[in-house]
Amino acid sequence: MVEVDARGLSCPLPLMRAKKALDSAPDSVKVLVDSGTAKANVTNMLSDEGYSVTVSDGPDGFTIEATRS
Amino acid sequence: MSKHRLIGPSAWIVGVAGLVIGVGAAWLWNMGNPGNMGLCIACFNRDISGSFFGAGANMFGVAYIRPEILGLFGGAIGASLLTREFRPRGGSSVILRFVLGFIFMASSLIFLGCTVRAWLRLGGGDLNALWGILGIVVGVSFGAVMLKKGYNLGRARQLGAVAGWTGPVIAMVLLVLALVWVSTGSAPAGLTVTPERAKSVNGAIVQDEQGVVLRPEGATLVDGTVVAADGEVIADADAVQGAGRMPGGLRAPFIISILAGLALGVVAQRSRFCSVGGIRDVILVRRFDLLFAVIGLLVGATVANMVFGQYNLGFVGQPIAHTNALGNFSAMAVAGLAAIMLGGCPFRQVIMSGEGDADATMAVVGMLAGAGFAHWGSVSSTGAGLSQNAWPALGVMAVILVAILFIKRERVA
Repeated sequence: MVEVDARGLSCPLPLMRAKKALDSAPDSVKVLVDSGTAKANVTNMLSDEGYSVTVSDGPDGFTIEATRS
Repeated sequence: MSKHRLIGPSAWIVGVAGLVIGVGAAWLWNMGNPGNMGLCIACFNRDISGSFFGAGANMFGVAYIRPEILGLFGGAIGASLLTREFRPRGGSSVILRFVLGFIFMASSLIFLGCTVRAWLRLGGGDLNALWGILGIVVGVSFGAVMLKKGYNLGRARQLGAVAGWTGPVIAMVLLVLALVWVSTGSAPAGLTVTPERAKSVNGAIVQDEQGVVLRPEGATLVDGTVVAADGEVIADADAVQGAGRMPGGLRAPFIISILAGLALGVVAQRSRFCSVGGIRDVILVRRFDLLFAVIGLLVGATVANMVFGQYNLGFVGQPIAHTNALGNFSAMAVAGLAAIMLGGCPFRQVIMSGEGDADATMAVVGMLAGAGFAHWGSVSSTGAGLSQNAWPALGVMAVILVAILFIKRERVA
C-alpha cells in the first residue's frame, strides 16, 4: 500500500503526486485530497491506469482507495 | 498486466462541457453580447471592475455587472453544495494569488481576452487568436516545466465557513446591485453602467439607433451627425457610422445572461472544465482528457458561429481585437504562465471561489484590481493596437512571475 497526502495542494500537484506513486507499480494506493477537482482528476487517472477505485467522504476531505483490478 | 487507457470517460465529459460552453458563448453573442465575447472571464470581470472604477479609470465604455459571472458563481455554489464538494479552504500564498490574478488580468487585456476567449475568438474566425494560443502553449509549457522542478504555492487548509463564503457573498452583493439596476433602470449611486449599444465619437456618447445623444448635454443627432447645442458639428455622419459600439453596452438580456451563466457554472463545476489544464497535463502526466475541454470549446464555438452567420475568417476587422502578432503572443504567454501558477484558468478560479476556495477568491479579486489598473495605466489594448505602456508592463509582469517561480520552489525528492 502506497499512501499520498495531497490535501490542500493546487492543481495539478495532487495528480502529479498520485501518478508518481504509481512508479513502483503498487497493488494498492491511497490518496487523500480535499477538493472536488483533485478527487475527480485522481480518480479518473487511477481508473484509466487500470485500478478499481472507491472514494469515501470524511470531515478532512476525500479518501481515494485504489486496488489493481 | 494493467489496462492503460489514454482517453477515458472523463475526456468525453470535459469535451462535451467545452462544446456546451462554446455553443453557449456563440449564442450569447447572438443575443447581444460583444463579438466573440459571448463569454470571457477576463473581460466580464473587467466590466464588473469598470462598473466600480468608471470613467476615472478610463472604464466608462466597459462598465457593466455582467450577470454571466454571477450565474457562474451561483451554478458553482449550488452544484458544489449538492455534491458535498463545497469546502471552505484557503491560506496557500494568499498575497501571491492576488498578484497572479492581477497579472493574469492585465496581460489578458493586452491580448484582449482570456485563455477562454482566445479559443472563442478562433471559433469566430479571428486568426489573430492563433498567436495568442501559441503564446498560451509556450507560457503553459514553461509553467509545467517549473512545476516539475518543484514550484508549489504551498498547502491550503480547511477554514471556517466565513472565509469560504467570501467569494459567494461578494457575488451575492454584486447580484443585489445588478438587480437594483435592472429594476430601477439606473445604476446604484457610485456605480457606472455603459449605456446600452452606445458609441463614443469625438468625446460624444451617442445611441445612434435610438437617435439619442447622451453627451454632451444639449447635443442632438441631425441626419446622423452629432451637433452641439451651439450648432457646432462634433462628429459627422461617417464618423458616427464608423465608430464601434462600446463593449460594456453590448449585452444579452439580463435574464438570459444570468440563466446561461448558472447553467454553464453547473457544467463547469461538474466537468472540472479548465482552459489551460489540458496542455499542462499532456506535458506533466501524459494525460489527454482535459485537452478535450478546449477542443470542445473550439468546435462548439466554430459550428455555432457558422449556424448563427457570425463566422468571419481573417485577421482584419475582427470584433474587439488588434492585429499585433507579437503583442498577442507575448501577452498570452504571460497570462498562460500566470494561470498555471495559480493552478487553473480564470474560469476555474471563479468556479473554485464558488466552491468555498478563499485562495481562488483572492485570485478573482486580484483580477478585478488588475483590470482597473490596466485601464487606468494605459496598459490594456484597444482595437487599434497596443497601448503605450503595454510592453513595459509585460516586461515587469514576466519578471515578477519568474521571481515568484524561483521563490516558491521546493526541493524535489
